[in-house]
Amino acid sequence: MSFAQPSLMPSFTRPPSRVAIVRSGSYDCDLGALIFEALQQFALPVKGLKVLLKPNFVEPDPDGIINTHPAVVGAAREAFLRLGAVSVRVAEGPGHERDTEAIVETIRLRDFLGSLPNVFVDLNLDEVHAVNLRTRASRLKQLYLPRTVLEADFVVSLPKLKTHHWAGATLSLKNMFGIVPGCCYGWPKNVLHWAGITPAILDINSTVRPDFAIVDGIIGMEGNGPIQGSPKPSGVLILGDDPVAVDATSARVMGLAPERIDHLAKAGALLGHLQPDKIRQLGESVASVRTPFAVLPAFQKLVAANGTG
Amino acid sequence: MRTVTSGPIRDSHCREFLIAHQNSDGGWGYHPASPSAVEATAWALAALSPSRQAPPLPEVCARARDWLLQAQRTDGSWPPFPGHPHACWVTSVASQALHLQGGSPQAVERGLNWLLNAWPAEGSVWWRLRQTLFPSRVTRQDNSLRGWNWTPGTASWVEPTAHALLFLRSLPAEMLSPQAAKRRQLAERMLYDRMCPGGGWNSGNPLVYGVAGLPRIGPTAWALLALRDHSERAAIQMSLQWLEGAYGAIHGPASLALAHRCLSAYGRRVSPLASALGELYSHNRFFENVLTSAWVVLAQNEEGSARVPTAGEAPTP
Repeated sequence: MSFAQPSLMPSFTRPPSRVAIVRSGSYDCDLGALIFEALQQFALPVKGLKVLLKPNFVEPDPDGIINTHPAVVGAAREAFLRLGAVSVRVAEGPGHERDTEAIVETIRLRDFLGSLPNVFVDLNLDEVHAVNLRTRASRLKQLYLPRTVLEADFVVSLPKLKTHHWAGATLSLKNMFGIVPGCCYGWPKNVLHWAGITPAILDINSTVRPDFAIVDGIIGMEGNGPIQGSPKPSGVLILGDDPVAVDATSARVMGLAPERIDHLAKAGALLGHLQPDKIRQLGESVASVRTPFAVLPAFQKLVAANGTG
Repeated sequence: MRTVTSGPIRDSHCREFLIAHQNSDGGWGYHPASPSAVEATAWALAALSPSRQAPPLPEVCARARDWLLQAQRTDGSWPPFPGHPHACWVTSVASQALHLQGGSPQAVERGLNWLLNAWPAEGSVWWRLRQTLFPSRVTRQDNSLRGWNWTPGTASWVEPTAHALLFLRSLPAEMLSPQAAKRRQLAERMLYDRMCPGGGWNSGNPLVYGVAGLPRIGPTAWALLALRDHSERAAIQMSLQWLEGAYGAIHGPASLALAHRCLSAYGRRVSPLASALGELYSHNRFFENVLTSAWVVLAQNEEGSARVPTAGEAPTP
């Protein structure tokens, strides 16, 4: 893998990150053009590279509330191909649902990607290789990870803007749980929970840090996410070259304080930027798109003062 | 009902796919030409084992059996792939496939012994102490009821528990010690405890923050198959009803095969599998998934036999 930024670097030595907020009120507009235009601001070095898009596909959900919307996945693929990527594959290893095909068929992914067998990879059943984790936040030390991920040149995390009943919010860092293969660890990948959700998120992202992130916030999920929450139209896509900065910005859009979300606060030390003064904001401002998300009572402490993030 | 837009696939399609994609080492990967995996090999072997629906394949099955025997660890368990450091849930599936095939009683017994001594982590002293000091506000379940986990050092979940129960259920009574009977009873109670309030199962969280979890096809089918001896119970009937209601909206071939097999096993009337599978096959060719193909064959076998075996009689996984 080659990385746009080093995965581990103390925040004070890391150059400022860039995050763009793009408005989009629905999935029916020309998202391909919208994302392509937004990506051009980043001058990403993807020409000739094998790009891997990692969406968040959780359950068969015909209503489009739980999973990254297939229109966003298709649009991102189109945009990276236009930028010169030699291939753009879409890969996911759902955490609870073994029948990945049931998910991609329910959301009609092939309507947006064309024939799936050559484009989509079920990471739960991929060939695996042992990888020593680059940090020791958890006691895991080593994980088997899918060949498709390890062979990608440029990894893009494509989560949904959602609250999460264990982690507070599930965004581009938490989304990387999906690269851990079920064929080795089961459904759910309970070994990650027992290792601690925050430490496991940190170890996975230090080892396979997404080079880019695109958060589908056109319709997010609030309340009892990531599965049984309520739809939350937010009308935004949030993109950036630093997954921590993208997640911090996304949290602020949700009216949450990122420094109170455990894994984000810790990721801000070595994996990317949390603080607004280290994030170069492109496109819309956070304040102009802020849409406070309802959270479960247990996560009320994450809500920013005055909902300002 | 689902709309059929393409013709049925041949009954023999998935069986032929499995035969064609056995690796040269005798195992199967999850996909053609991928490294042999214990779970994929065990299910393929189970699917190709002698049945009334198809002629026997002694050479194919013998090679698969030998591969599984070589992959077994010295403690009787199986890892997901040969050489992996950890045993896991595939021990149930591999043991049962070998039992079904016959001819490897020692390996089966070693697998059984490992399973009977493999306890999920929620019963540890550390876990109980933590639960006493900091009881969960998130989930409501009886953690004294333990089944089996996916991987060592983690908690009980529905599917690995169901696989272990299916294995125990397939064994003749003389192989089952009092310890086995005790674990079976405990695991069955665990499954009932984890049932969703309206019937059916998800992976194992029936209530989170007091909100009823949504059942899913796969875990429901596995749990029902594992509890087949309890067909008269209201909880089973409620779960079957949920599965029947969900059947028409299934979009994945693996889920469809499991649901079909489960409903057939309980004697419920289900539309023929081939037509629905034909439509799904036309979309993605099942992603050339070996597990899906094996489960389809097993569902077709169940469809063909159309009866409910009793415990210890028919060791179909």
